[in-house]
Amino acid sequence: MRAVCIDTTKCIGCRACQVACKQWNQLPAENTEFGGTYENPSKFMHDTWTRVHFREHRVNGEVQWLFAKSQCMHCTEAACISVCPSGATHRTEMGTVLIDNRRCIGCNYCAANCPFAVPRYDHKENAMKKCNFCYNRIVDGLSPACVKACPTGALQYGERRVLMLEAEKRVNNLRAAGYRDARVYGLEEMGGLGVFYVLRDRPSAYGLPDSPKVPMSAYVWGTAFKPVRALAVLGVFLGLVANRFRTRQNQPQETVRGD
Amino acid sequence: MKASGAGIAAASLSTLGVNAVAHAVEPSRVRYAKETSTICPYCSVGCGIIVHSEKGKVVNTEGDPDHPINKGSLCSKGSALYQVANNELRLTKVQYRAPGSDRWEEKDWAWALNKIAENVKKTRDAHWILRDAQGNLVNRTEAIASLGGAALDNEECYLISKLFRALGVVYLEHQARI
Repeated sequence: MRAVCIDTTKCIGCRACQVACKQWNQLPAENTEFGGTYENPSKFMHDTWTRVHFREHRVNGEVQWLFAKSQCMHCTEAACISVCPSGATHRTEMGTVLIDNRRCIGCNYCAANCPFAVPRYDHKENAMKKCNFCYNRIVDGLSPACVKACPTGALQYGERRVLMLEAEKRVNNLRAAGYRDARVYGLEEMGGLGVFYVLRDRPSAYGLPDSPKVPMSAYVWGTAFKPVRALAVLGVFLGLVANRFRTRQNQPQETVRGD
Repeated sequence: MKASGAGIAAASLSTLGVNAVAHAVEPSRVRYAKETSTICPYCSVGCGIIVHSEKGKVVNTEGDPDHPINKGSLCSKGSALYQVANNELRLTKVQYRAPGSDRWEEKDWAWALNKIAENVKKTRDAHWILRDAQGNLVNRTEAIASLGGAALDNEECYLISKLFRALGVVYLEHQARI
């Protein structure tokens, strides 16, 4: 499974990832509002798929300034995939989560069930939009545009197992350096995040949910009832086929009678 | 009936989790593009950039992984270099605003270069200093200044200093020193 590790301790908040994302995916700029911090844009939009959180905290009388790039986390237990009624949101062979715009019906279920509030509705195309992990780059052996642009090496792309080992080493170093809250974020959250973090503080300090969960309704309808749903669809399909078969059988008899 | 049957078949397949085709995203536009290396024009770091072009049109720009300075990475400004080539707001003709005027006029390059040469000659002649207050021979003008940019390379800097020292300009300044 391909993954991206975001080492927030190396992030300098230059936003090269934001620009590279817009450039590669040919997304237009948008009017944004000043919200009192350097965070800009302050929320995801259908044409803003990644953005850097800027959070200021006062710790022991000193200002602590935290940066964390955020985007679709490409969860292993992705609520968006299990709730998608049209099958547009699916897992690719690279292990990432992708929305097929041709099949998306714009129902917003994925947005409603995403614990990170990532997918956004595009009114023009009546479809949901989010980070696609630069699918058309990674299948060609390139790294995602944001990772390629990162000048400090805060973003790393590769095999998840390998990156996770590196991340855990980094966390151990941070803990030894006195950051007691340092942790890997995304090892077990949502079954494991495809984009995971090295944090030196608790997740909420970065604007990330402390314990993201698949909503219960998404679990019930998406996971527990999925086999039943498939059976129901197959049943209807087989019924239609049987019905058509029967109609065909009946037709010649009627003709004979007519003669 | 056939169409709805196919629709139902597709729906049931997707419900079962079968996704035969994952080409939901257009194929990469740099897959068959021509690659040309260049240097970022913005700051003095001088990052290497690859320009991808197709049929003479720039389709993408990104960091050059083989360049020793940036090894493929770029800042937010360099990441937006694509817009230098493809930008409907970019000026492509010489614009001239006469002194005291409130509007821009479109001019050609020959006119603009002659105008610059004339003004340099006029200013230099009007403010020529042959000797300073102590009577030393100085041969200079203090009415013209040159402001260089961080992205100028060695050769450009050499030519600029040659030209302006020949003209007697002493204010040879640089953006990074201001």
